[in-house]
Amino acid sequence: MGRPMLHRRFIFRQITRSGKQALVLVLCVMLSIVSLVSISGLGDSIRQNLLKDARALHGGDIILHSRSPFSAPLEAAVSKLTARGEAKSLRVLEFNSVVLNEKKDASLLSNLKLVESGYPLYGKVTLASGRSFPAVLAPGGAIVGQVLLDRLHLSVGDRICVGKATLVIRDVVVNEPDRPVSFFSFGPRVFIHMDDANRLGLISRGSRIEYSLLLKTAQGANIEKIAETLRASAEKGERVETYRSARSRIKRFFDNFLFFLSLIAIFTLILSGIGIQSSLTALIREKRRSIAVMRAVGATGGFISGHFVAVVALLGLFGTILGTLFGYWLQYLMPALFGGLLPGTLRPGLSWLSATQGIVLGVLVVSLFAFVPLYRLREVKPVAVFRKETAASRKGVVAYISMAALTLLFAGMILWQLEDKRIGAWLLLGLAGLIVLSGLASQAVLSLLGKISFKSLALRQALRGLHRPGNATRAILITLSASFSVLFCIYLVEKNLNATFVRSYPANAPNLFFIDIQPDQIQQFSDTLGFAPRYYPVVRARLTAINDEKIDPEAQRTRRGDNLGRTFNLTYRDDLLDDEALLAGTALFGKNIQGLQVSVLDTVTEMHPLSIGDRLQFNIQGVPVEATVSSIRTRTRESIEPFFYFVFPGDSLLKDAPQTIFTAIRLPRADIGKMQSRIAAKFPNVTPIDVTQIIADFATILEKLTLVIRFFTALGIAAGLLIIISSILATRLARAAETVYYKILGARGRFVSAVFTLENLLIGLLSGLLGLLFSQVGAMIISVRIFKIDYRFYPAQSLLMVAATMLMVVIVGMSASVSILRQRPMAVLREQTEE
Amino acid sequence: MLTLTAVIAVALGVTTSPALSAETGSEGVIVAMGDSLTEGYGVMEEEAYPALLQEMLLKNGYKFKVVNAGISGETSSGALSRVRWMLRLKPDIVILETGANDGLLGIDPAVTEKNIAQILTVLKKENITVVLAGMKMVPNMGKTYTDAFAKIYPALAEKFHVALIPFFLEGVAADPSLNNGDGIHPNAAGYRVLVGNIYPYVTSAIDKWKSKEAK
Amino acid sequence: MATHLNILTARDLSKSYRIADREIYILENISLEVQAGEFLIVAGASGSGKTTLLSLLSGLDRPTDGRVWIEETDITDLTEDALAPYRNRSFGFVFQSFHLVPSLDARENIMFPAELRGDPLAREKADRLIARVGLDGRHTNFPHQLSGGEKQRVALCRALINTPKIIFADEPTGNLDSENSAVILDLLLDLRKEYGATLIMVTHSPEIAARADRTILLKDGRIAGETVHGAAHAP
Repeated sequence: MGRPMLHRRFIFRQITRSGKQALVLVLCVMLSIVSLVSISGLGDSIRQNLLKDARALHGGDIILHSRSPFSAPLEAAVSKLTARGEAKSLRVLEFNSVVLNEKKDASLLSNLKLVESGYPLYGKVTLASGRSFPAVLAPGGAIVGQVLLDRLHLSVGDRICVGKATLVIRDVVVNEPDRPVSFFSFGPRVFIHMDDANRLGLISRGSRIEYSLLLKTAQGANIEKIAETLRASAEKGERVETYRSARSRIKRFFDNFLFFLSLIAIFTLILSGIGIQSSLTALIREKRRSIAVMRAVGATGGFISGHFVAVVALLGLFGTILGTLFGYWLQYLMPALFGGLLPGTLRPGLSWLSATQGIVLGVLVVSLFAFVPLYRLREVKPVAVFRKETAASRKGVVAYISMAALTLLFAGMILWQLEDKRIGAWLLLGLAGLIVLSGLASQAVLSLLGKISFKSLALRQALRGLHRPGNATRAILITLSASFSVLFCIYLVEKNLNATFVRSYPANAPNLFFIDIQPDQIQQFSDTLGFAPRYYPVVRARLTAINDEKIDPEAQRTRRGDNLGRTFNLTYRDDLLDDEALLAGTALFGKNIQGLQVSVLDTVTEMHPLSIGDRLQFNIQGVPVEATVSSIRTRTRESIEPFFYFVFPGDSLLKDAPQTIFTAIRLPRADIGKMQSRIAAKFPNVTPIDVTQIIADFATILEKLTLVIRFFTALGIAAGLLIIISSILATRLARAAETVYYKILGARGRFVSAVFTLENLLIGLLSGLLGLLFSQVGAMIISVRIFKIDYRFYPAQSLLMVAATMLMVVIVGMSASVSILRQRPMAVLREQTEE
Repeated sequence: MLTLTAVIAVALGVTTSPALSAETGSEGVIVAMGDSLTEGYGVMEEEAYPALLQEMLLKNGYKFKVVNAGISGETSSGALSRVRWMLRLKPDIVILETGANDGLLGIDPAVTEKNIAQILTVLKKENITVVLAGMKMVPNMGKTYTDAFAKIYPALAEKFHVALIPFFLEGVAADPSLNNGDGIHPNAAGYRVLVGNIYPYVTSAIDKWKSKEAK
Repeated sequence: MATHLNILTARDLSKSYRIADREIYILENISLEVQAGEFLIVAGASGSGKTTLLSLLSGLDRPTDGRVWIEETDITDLTEDALAPYRNRSFGFVFQSFHLVPSLDARENIMFPAELRGDPLAREKADRLIARVGLDGRHTNFPHQLSGGEKQRVALCRALINTPKIIFADEPTGNLDSENSAVILDLLLDLRKEYGATLIMVTHSPEIAARADRTILLKDGRIAGETVHGAAHAP
């Protein structure tokens, strides 16, 4: 009875007596669990959402595609599967054909889809009548899209001619699961029963047909394995995909996005781990004396270790529970953040599996980080009862082993998250490099600062404080500068993405573009608009050579960003636009240049160095044309105004080239829709583009994404601050002693605060500056290499970030130090002497 | 929809055959006007038919420059809009290959026929010798359509008294070994077959042009 | 009869702590006068309240009751900041466990009080003191690189650099072996004379007591006896 009581009381005491350290530890554990659980939960719901749609979207568990009838080996493999009852198969043929009305006096290109009974395997085809698709689709009939009825002036019950067959329209298809809304679809859908395939007479040698075989595997079948066997039988041109592997762009995007978030989570995890380690070290250091006393009175190492493990486990459990609850609760916030980003509604989808996964991972990390401080308990000898704390214990083999285990764990986690192991390896290398660099840079700066002698005594003392023996300054600098690097880097990349894709839309910029206006429509077009905007002739052409040096389109296409191999829009005019300025040349076109002249935008010179007099060879709609560079222009402001890379003189041969006219106008938002439909009715060949709408949609999406990123980044910042607090608490005794020494020697409170403020300020400034340096380099590499966008440095924001960092470190540092500064000298002196 | 296709198509570009060197001299200019089948979608410029044709002609003593004026994705309307522009190349002979994209888009054959007729009118007026490349549509478009489509070319050839290649892709179409993955664009081997098919029509057009020039 | 101005006066000093419901008295009603230039020893058994008395006299702690004057000034209720100039210029401290600033080297520790008051000669003074106590060559050593005797020499120098009026020494030899103890004690007493400072020292070493002008014996927080040595201060 006595023993367990003692245990419980002991554990309880250890926790309550070091409230602050215990709180920091719990918060660190909680942070790591929150970020892990909420990100895996987010991943779960996104994946479930996409996967749920994926089966329907791709039509089956396994999907075979071919442009020709399936090969005998693949057919045999499928037959074997179906014969054994491992899968149900369904054939689908898709092709375009011209469908005619019964009198054959009206026709329309339609997208035919021939399906066997049982279609669809997943999802539901919605019919206008509300009847079920399998019940309606039978041989001899067709289910068509509304557009076909409209265009051929038919209604349900009428007949259509498809190939050689005449079919009765049985119903109208409203929605089908495997055909998402697409702007690229040619013509309306016509569903026909597979039994009519031969009757149509459309499938023969030379026909362009997409053959598909949809497989629905038996419950619990190993889809990947089956797909693998099928792949082994597939011949060239036959594709075998599973609903998982068939990657849509949206899935790829979210995979990348989730990976990015996971990286942040892992980073938060590392920071919290460091926080856990440092707070636990401090907690145990404060207990050294009582531990020594317990040992002196005969407590075994096992007793003490056991109890502290119990203390850590209890605090860890508490943090884990809090973190899990908080992370779970966050799930309900996610749909609000993600609303509109995903097809359908995002339901919180935290599965028990990923919750458990997150918790196990969190506990593993907590234990690994807690291991070294706990292991060091062994080093507390009873003799410590008589002596004050001696120099910091050396790192033993065990510490290195646990560090190696941690490194391996995180490396594994990052690699596991990534499908591309090469990127993972680079990333790890980068992270390791970042830490090494931070270490070297911190060391260099510290020793440099040590060499400088400052006039101010407080500043000198603050610097000395950084070098305080046994102080964790370097460790703090490394963790802080590494974490700020990541946080700043994310911010900078986000800023750059934003600037590139969502430039703030100027109020007077045009918001409605019209392309493909025909030259002879201009007058009529102006009449319809009610005013005459500036028209820009557009001549499509390719650049074939510069000074007779051929441009290889293939090589150009592999360049990041813009390239010279693409088709350019040329124009002709004689004046500079309002937002243009000349970089080279005195006028758009020179008098002394022979032959055809061309003015180029500086963007082109970034792709290939050019100067006045260089000869550019174009292929303009089949006609080779050579022109001499007469001037180089630049744009004076980033705007939505139309611009052209190549401008030819107004009175040049380009006037005769096949061309379309482009114009950009600004209308009040309310009028845009009306104008769009008026133009569409009068000029069917003209395409209106509502720019504001496109930009607004994109901005909303980016905003939502960055909100999510910011949220997870905030967790990382919180972990970083916890490290500062815990390390200040960890050096509490040393700091308190220093404070008192200053006071005994006659320093005023202001001096002491100045020393501590400066010390924190130095830490904030150094880590902020180092972080900024690394983040600028990192963000530049990410922007240019991965996102392939131009990079901006954002100096003002960068300075602000460093200032904010300093302020944050000082505030957090000082608030953690307030209790230390307030101590009466004698209390500390006694603690130092008598404890 | 059409705009988008056009944008995609134009992005694929236009190329010209390597120019004949000045020393060899040139008897005349042949412009190969057409869509992706002329441009050589998916193959190198040197592997597309205009380059092969020039080479073959040169080997047989015809010093003609063959200009590749193909634009991927172009329909007969596109070809019509740039026919006057093509005259800048001062062609003596034009090999006109267009309409395949019309067929794949299910455009009314009457529209295609009207466009090609206008192109031929312009070329005739400029006294240019024309070789018209006949085209057939894939069977899945339906017999009514493919029949109407196939009739365009012989009818126009007869009406405008121009030479007709009955089917441009004869012996190449629908043969997987002669086409690239998409099943409609010839690969390098396909173009070697193709150029052999059309060669006699081109030489007879050259002879016709020469006799016309001689007059 | 020479009248000596009291450099330090204490009246009815008490110090008590409340533990649970009980009031525990460490010191009770201590009154004391120290004359300028005097060497006073506070002796007593462990737990008799010696160190507490020293901390109250030097303003490092506040009494529960009673008052302390330094010359004419009542320092009892002064704030920490108001006490700072006294600690810096008028007092010097020597502790049993040295209490050197660990992040400063020997010379910097010694210079610190002088630098705080803005003394431009801080460095010269420190170097002179270092030479005086025989620490040549140890200027740039940090406390953890010094032996106990060396640390205490640094502490002595630090206590003296601003030529204080009073040196408070709390068992200055308590952590040292006998050989070092003797050396440090000699140094302390010699330097005190050279600098003309009053010395109030807590110790329970009887041989030191013999060298003092006066010894106060504390027992259970009260003055249990007072011995005046030699004739100098005989009334």
